[in-house]
Amino acid sequence: MELEHYQQIALYGFIGALILGAIASRTQFCTMGAVSDWINMDSLTRMRVWFLAIGVAILGTQAMHLSGMIDLRESIYLNTNFTWLGHILGGFIFGVGMTMASGCGQRTLVRLGGGNLKSLVVFLVMGITAYATLRGLFALIRLEINGPTTVDLTETGLTTQGLPGLLGYLTGISAELAGFICVVVIAGGAIAFSLRDSEVWKQFDNLLAGIGIGLIIVGAWYTTGVLGYDDFDPLQLEAASFIAPVGNSISYVMTYTGSSINFGIAVVFGLVAGAFLYSIVSGTFRLESFSDKNDFINHFIGAIMMGFGGVLGLGCTIGQGVSGVSTLAIGSIITLIFIITGSVFALKMQYYLYDDLGWKYALKSTLRDAIPHARD
Amino acid sequence: MTEANQELDARNLNCPLPILKAKKTINKMESGQVLRILATDPGSVKDFEAFARQTGNELLESTESGDEFHFLLQKK
Repeated sequence: MELEHYQQIALYGFIGALILGAIASRTQFCTMGAVSDWINMDSLTRMRVWFLAIGVAILGTQAMHLSGMIDLRESIYLNTNFTWLGHILGGFIFGVGMTMASGCGQRTLVRLGGGNLKSLVVFLVMGITAYATLRGLFALIRLEINGPTTVDLTETGLTTQGLPGLLGYLTGISAELAGFICVVVIAGGAIAFSLRDSEVWKQFDNLLAGIGIGLIIVGAWYTTGVLGYDDFDPLQLEAASFIAPVGNSISYVMTYTGSSINFGIAVVFGLVAGAFLYSIVSGTFRLESFSDKNDFINHFIGAIMMGFGGVLGLGCTIGQGVSGVSTLAIGSIITLIFIITGSVFALKMQYYLYDDLGWKYALKSTLRDAIPHARD
Repeated sequence: MTEANQELDARNLNCPLPILKAKKTINKMESGQVLRILATDPGSVKDFEAFARQTGNELLESTESGDEFHFLLQKK
């Protein structure tokens, strides 16, 4: 059977995601865990692994962009309609949600493959909410937020929302030089930060997660941008992302005979399959369920926040945090900062809520930690 | 077998809750006392190793029985 062009690209996406699923399962790569380790045990190791992935992804992606192999302006991230409030609110809401639902989109899919039934609920609720935020009822709220606040960057003379464009605009240096400077400073900074800790480069699993995931994102851009390039059958230029594509995957299953596979959907299925195969081979597959009613409620609300925030902010900790940041889009960097902020907020709230002194006390204590010199 | 002074049931909870609850509980214990933690999240094995390394509390035991993980953590 000869595969159509778009099916071929989806197949490559599936295979890449299989590998990603196995790597993420083996190394327990978790972006929410990275924030949790930082806040709850003062350890930055997993955060450094995440930043290693970001640094590697920027290097490879920008090398392809600057050499003309791919044109990142065709991705959603560099759009000249700059939805700054969506990035801030979406990022924050997603960050709170992923902390309540015990992991980001990527982690949810990996856990689902490993037999976690909580992740099945998160997967479905997050996917349906994401779809409703793209095209359904919640899209009205999204448009209310983005409509009045979107800035058309072309009016200011910018052609993308990339940092290099902004640097060139402000300083008058050429686009190539501005791109080069941004790559050296941001990717170099991310990699230097990650390798400062010997735990990162002495442990194979940490290097595997950081470099492996970074390279898979580069591979995803190559797949949709170079292999997927076709004048007669143009495909969306994209890399791995795990919120909107989860909604599309559910829709694909429900409307199978009337719809076609795409790269994003194939990556979702590939990630779950990779994690499932790894858990079977390594003997770690186990069915897990909710501990009690509160555990269910937390995951359920968290999943809604992930679906809504993930679409409003245009991505998750991988979709925006690695894929988006690798395009050097300002919106991606804002979303990433606010995802981390939202997660820190939720972790602190969880910590103080365990004192059983009510949410007002928890909120006050959380804010006091955020502003150390503030007094009530 | 080391006797535990207190036990924390973190079964069926996922990251970050087992660590968060353990941190909360051990903060209220006396130096030298031992906390037994029961968990089912496979990620908790690495998490408690890192928690012990970072906080200086000693991880006396980390065992697996059936679908459960048991940890003994001694407060520094």
